[in-house]
Amino acid sequence: MADQADLMPGTLDLLILQAVSLGEHHGYGVLLRIEQITGGALAIQQGTLYPALYRLEHQGLIRSTWGTSENNRRAKFYRITAAGRRRRGEQEAGWNRLVAAMSAALNTQPGTV
Amino acid sequence: MITSALSGVIARIRSYARGLRRPTAVEAEMAEEFRLHIELRTRDLVGRGVAPEEAARQARVEFGHIETHREHARASRGLRILDVLSMSRLDVKLGLRMLAKYPGLTLVSVIGMTVSVAIAAGAFAAVEAMMSSSLPLDEGERIVAVQNSSLEDWDGTAARRAVHDFVQWRRDLASVQDLTAYNGETRNLIMAEGVTDVINVARMTASGFRVARVAPLLGRPLLDDDDRIGAQPVIVIGFEEWQRRFNGDENIIGRQLRLGSVLHTIVGVMPEGFRFPVNHQFWTPLQLAHERGEGPAIMMFGRLAPGATMEEAQAELTTIGRQASAAWPETHGRLRALVLPYTYPYSGINNPAAVMRFHAIKLAIGLLLVVVAVNVSVLVYARTATRTGEIAIRTALGASRRRVVTQLFVEAIVLSGMAAALGLGIAGLALGRLSDMMQGPSTPFWEQYRLSLSLVLYVIGLALLASVIVGVLPALKVTGRRVQAGLQQITARGSQVQLGRMWTAMIVLQVGIAVAVLPYAIYVAAATLQRGTAQERYPADEIVRTFLSMDESGESSLSGAAAEEEKARLLAGTREFLNRLQAEPDIAGVAITRSFPGYEWQADLEVEGGSTLEIQYNDFGVGLLPLFVEMVAGRDFTSADLGENSTAVIINENLARAISGRPENVLGRRVRFAAERPADGSEPAANPWLEVVGVVPDFTTTEGIDSDPDPLLYRPLALESAIADGDNLQIVIRLRDGPGQQFAGRLRQLAAAVDPGLQITGTQTAANMRREARQYQRYLGIGIAIVTLSVLLLSAAGIYAMMSFTVARRRREIGIRAALGAGSRQVLSGIFARAGVQLGAGVLGGLVVALALDRVAGGVITRQLPVLLPVVAIVMMAVGLLAALGPARRGLAVQPTEALRSD
Repeated sequence: MADQADLMPGTLDLLILQAVSLGEHHGYGVLLRIEQITGGALAIQQGTLYPALYRLEHQGLIRSTWGTSENNRRAKFYRITAAGRRRRGEQEAGWNRLVAAMSAALNTQPGTV
Repeated sequence: MITSALSGVIARIRSYARGLRRPTAVEAEMAEEFRLHIELRTRDLVGRGVAPEEAARQARVEFGHIETHREHARASRGLRILDVLSMSRLDVKLGLRMLAKYPGLTLVSVIGMTVSVAIAAGAFAAVEAMMSSSLPLDEGERIVAVQNSSLEDWDGTAARRAVHDFVQWRRDLASVQDLTAYNGETRNLIMAEGVTDVINVARMTASGFRVARVAPLLGRPLLDDDDRIGAQPVIVIGFEEWQRRFNGDENIIGRQLRLGSVLHTIVGVMPEGFRFPVNHQFWTPLQLAHERGEGPAIMMFGRLAPGATMEEAQAELTTIGRQASAAWPETHGRLRALVLPYTYPYSGINNPAAVMRFHAIKLAIGLLLVVVAVNVSVLVYARTATRTGEIAIRTALGASRRRVVTQLFVEAIVLSGMAAALGLGIAGLALGRLSDMMQGPSTPFWEQYRLSLSLVLYVIGLALLASVIVGVLPALKVTGRRVQAGLQQITARGSQVQLGRMWTAMIVLQVGIAVAVLPYAIYVAAATLQRGTAQERYPADEIVRTFLSMDESGESSLSGAAAEEEKARLLAGTREFLNRLQAEPDIAGVAITRSFPGYEWQADLEVEGGSTLEIQYNDFGVGLLPLFVEMVAGRDFTSADLGENSTAVIINENLARAISGRPENVLGRRVRFAAERPADGSEPAANPWLEVVGVVPDFTTTEGIDSDPDPLLYRPLALESAIADGDNLQIVIRLRDGPGQQFAGRLRQLAAAVDPGLQITGTQTAANMRREARQYQRYLGIGIAIVTLSVLLLSAAGIYAMMSFTVARRRREIGIRAALGAGSRQVLSGIFARAGVQLGAGVLGGLVVALALDRVAGGVITRQLPVLLPVVAIVMMAVGLLAALGPARRGLAVQPTEALRSD
């Protein structure tokens, strides 16, 4: 995928929260879901997902349970918690503010300020 | 918001707990997840048409470096500490392999660190032995000492005549039970067969046995009734004495033995090993009926009442003490009553400052190891710096900085672990020998020099500290900025070394320190050893010294008329004893003295028409000096010099030279002791002038480092004054051939024949006395020599390592220059010139510091410096130049094509 953008620091957490808020997934599933919702536009090194997942679990924003994967293997499934939902909301609001500010800045024409 | 914060905290705690409690399970789960991920990815890729093997490879590449992700995953769980602590067996194996690969470095480092660990451990154990505040008895930590401490009289004798206080405190103190008084005495023991021996007896109130809580083996302990005035004299004896003197007689109870002139009935035998209160095997009752301020000088102890603390006891005692101060200000105004751990008064620990001092000593000794560790870390840094290539590769393969530092830390731990184990072993052996050396009649029963748990923990702590210095610091430096550059430095022959100005500075510093400090250390070691092996300048094997006193006497129990009577008895007895000694065929001469030659007092002496000198002085009876040496000039004392107004004194050659150059010229010169200024600051009354009547050689050795004998002055001593002053009298005997086996026993019998109350103690040849005094010097000297040698070794190794690495990094340059046609002599001289400058700068700096140190230390080794300094400097320079030689020649041996080859 030639036109992938690099992931900005801190955004992986938000993407994961969004992905698991849409449903329970194992690690690989979370990756696929992120690829799906971003349209494949972001380059994510796959292994970095797991430290982020563990961090979010450590902070109590997501919870995990063991289950069976589609190829009949033992897998850990992640789902969002209430605290996770709140955090996702906060981060989304923050992100929107950032985007609005950046857009305004980048759309400024010479002569208008 | 609070609930979300709270739930966050709960989640974290749960996560930590799980991670710490079941780390293996957590790791396994992580591995399983990673595996599943890669499997699913592979499956997807195969579904898209990629060949299975290629799909698997691609999946792994896309996943990234597993180990790194694992580390980050652990970190994100807050389990970083597991990483640091995860020293796998592999790390240890690698550490051992590194040590084997550089045997020179390993040997030098281990030796240096082992020596300092051994010393630190030994000092720690010695301090612990002296400071142990608990007794090896039932609830020993609750046994406390109680004493009257004088605020001005440091000697404390007056304060210890506290019998009156004891009676009151025993009655009034609620927080201390079974308050006991005791007083140790040396008594003549006269067995039925007339054989006299001298023993240590503890005169103790019966409560002492209740405090110890040890039941007797036979019979009974002392009882309160025995303490009454007029009770039958009884005695309890110890197990070892029962076995030794009475052959373990089963019917010992009821037998009698004589102490001095009093018959005591044996009422009990204590079990093996019981030596309470200090190191005693005989116990007699202590009867108390004295006025305030009189009576024997006693020590007091007791047990804290159940539930009471030492602080409470101290508070209660302070209140009582204040009441006494108010009621009797003349005797108690300047006294303070103290409650202390039982053992402290014996080690001279009377206040918190003393406790702090001992703790400080323990810490300070540990600093020695720190200094050595720093030195070792320099060596390790040099070695680690050559591994930058290896480190860079490991980093490229995914090892985090922490991982690399951890592994280097483990290598350092292996090194210091070895040193710690060896050091502990040596310390254990030394302590065993020390224990044997120190076991004597006056060694308290609780003082044990051994490897305790706290000592082992102390050494482990030191080893870890050393590992941090030796391993972590160099590792952090080496894995710092230059790791990437390190990758570019790898050649076929290994990596180049990144060394900078810091190295030059370190070489100069290392040489400078060695040159500055080693001369002094060498001198001290040599002087101490010399002191420890010196011989006397008189026939020490033929001279015997013994103490003569009265049994049941001393400054302790008698005062007033009774004391005078005893002195008269001692005078008569001593006179007769001396006469009889003189008549013995194998005795060449007998004389008295206040203190054996070599153990003098200090004073200031004014010389008529000259200056005031600091001297040592002693008091000798008629005929003492001729027992040792021949007069150089003038004469010995005669009985005419023993009068009240006698002015005769004898001096040694050293003092004679200080006064007027030549011994003959000094006869008839007058001197006097400088008068002491009285407390009110008025002009002191001058002391009378004394006249020099004789000069003797410098025949006594001194205890100081300076090998010059002291200037000595001797005054005549009359028997009457010696006894009147109440000091223990010393008798010096010169034998024609040396004492036989039972000489001490013979002296005792002779004395007993004159008067059974005469007590002979401390009989020893002068040779033995000096040998014992020297033993300490010998061991100290050996210890200092070992430390000095190891410091020398470390310094030399450090210089060698740094020089050789400095030159090694320029090998390529050397090769190029040689390839471009420079002659080898030219190249070598260039290298040596540079090395010489570095070493020379170090030597110069060291010289300056050494001279300054000598000035500060009072010019102790000024005479020896012209010899020692050049020797040390030359040795260090030689080591450095030698170090440069090897790599320089290797550089010259490099083929030009190789040297010119680019990486």
